[in-house]
Amino acid sequence: MSIAEVKNLGKVYPAFQLKDVSFSIRQGRITGFIGRNGAGKTTTIKSMLNLVHPDSGEIRFFGLPFASHEADIKKRIGYSTGTVSWYPRKKIRDIVSIVSRFYETWDDEAYRRYLRMFELDENKTPLELSEGMKVKLNLLIALSHRAEILILDEPTSGLDPFSRDELLRIFTELKEHGVAVFFSTHITSDLEKCADDIVYISHGQIVSALPKQAFTEQFSQAGESLEETILRMERGMNHA
Amino acid sequence: MRNILRKEMKLSASILSYLFILFGLMFFLPGYPILCGAFFVTLGIFQGFQFAREANDIVFSALLPIRKKDVVKGKYLFVCFIEACGLILMLAAALIRMTLLADAAPYRTNALMNANLFAVGGALLTFGLFNLIFLGGYFKTAYKLGKGFVTYIIAATLTIGVLEALHHIPGLEAVNAFGFERIGLQLLLLLAGLAAFLVLTLLSYRAACRHFERIDL
Repeated sequence: MSIAEVKNLGKVYPAFQLKDVSFSIRQGRITGFIGRNGAGKTTTIKSMLNLVHPDSGEIRFFGLPFASHEADIKKRIGYSTGTVSWYPRKKIRDIVSIVSRFYETWDDEAYRRYLRMFELDENKTPLELSEGMKVKLNLLIALSHRAEILILDEPTSGLDPFSRDELLRIFTELKEHGVAVFFSTHITSDLEKCADDIVYISHGQIVSALPKQAFTEQFSQAGESLEETILRMERGMNHA
Repeated sequence: MRNILRKEMKLSASILSYLFILFGLMFFLPGYPILCGAFFVTLGIFQGFQFAREANDIVFSALLPIRKKDVVKGKYLFVCFIEACGLILMLAAALIRMTLLADAAPYRTNALMNANLFAVGGALLTFGLFNLIFLGGYFKTAYKLGKGFVTYIIAATLTIGVLEALHHIPGLEAVNAFGFERIGLQLLLLLAGLAAFLVLTLLSYRAACRHFERIDL
């Protein structure tokens, strides 16, 4: 079942343009959103969350248009961005105590569990966290309100290989509980490890939005890894 | 709505926003332009906005499960809350000066504005200008603070200058009434200040919601 749909999204900047971006995210699947730096991943994600105002297109979550059901939809979404830290000098405990009140579905038990799993200290401030730990803090908040879909902008950047592996395992665990995970990355091995579907964006346009297997069947040459396929496709597009 | 106000007060605000409320007590100062008290209260709010910008507050707020326009509402509620706190101090000081200290010599010989209900109305007008120019201007970008604040400083300085000197204009001496003299006029001017505050804040709020909906964060 489609849990989120992006249709014909368009946004024009002076030096960059998102063109006709369309794809859907299915329940209980991990969707990797791949593209090189500057391909339009963050603009797409921000448009999906109404942080960027698109010039055209439609965003729907749970069958509802985002524009007219913003608050209700946001309650069912978890969002995390890799490197930004909020309120760098406030204690994690204080940030969480405020945020949790916005969600009727806040799960304190899950919060404690992820807090232990991520080895985060509630008495620390975001300023005291490494980049990787900041990602985990954002994830902690996203995971603690029983979000039905997680939208994660480069969650694996800045993470060490162990934490990355741990995170990808958490994605798989969440998927088993019916949660849809949509994460952007420029690291193809992340996709190889856990993605069910691949949405590939290049120069502001969706090149392909397919299940991983269909993607490799359609685009990979014999003996080619996913990384090699995407590199070859990207080079081809640069020369086009 | 309580949640977003709580978030503004506990996460977004700077301690200076609260401390600068005390400048409302400048209404007790003789020989000093007391309406500067209202200006300093808004200066504290401005400091809070700088603090919030460093903390990526606006994007954080926009990601909370509320409508984008509720982010704007939260900021306006918080600003009006701080202004109301400042106003309570100013009103209390004005009432003390109008009653217990009505005949105190330093106040009677004061060349500047007397702390009466008209002065409280003047403070309301100053807050209204802050909400219109600074707060409304801020939501055009949700980032730029300087231009709006400088424009507000100019508008506030001119307004405060005119209001402080108004009673020296022949025929307008009554606005500087002491105690409960000309209480009808004082009340009328207070209500005019309140009306100006409400109109300016409401106009600003509506435009801010419109602008904030359109901008990219």
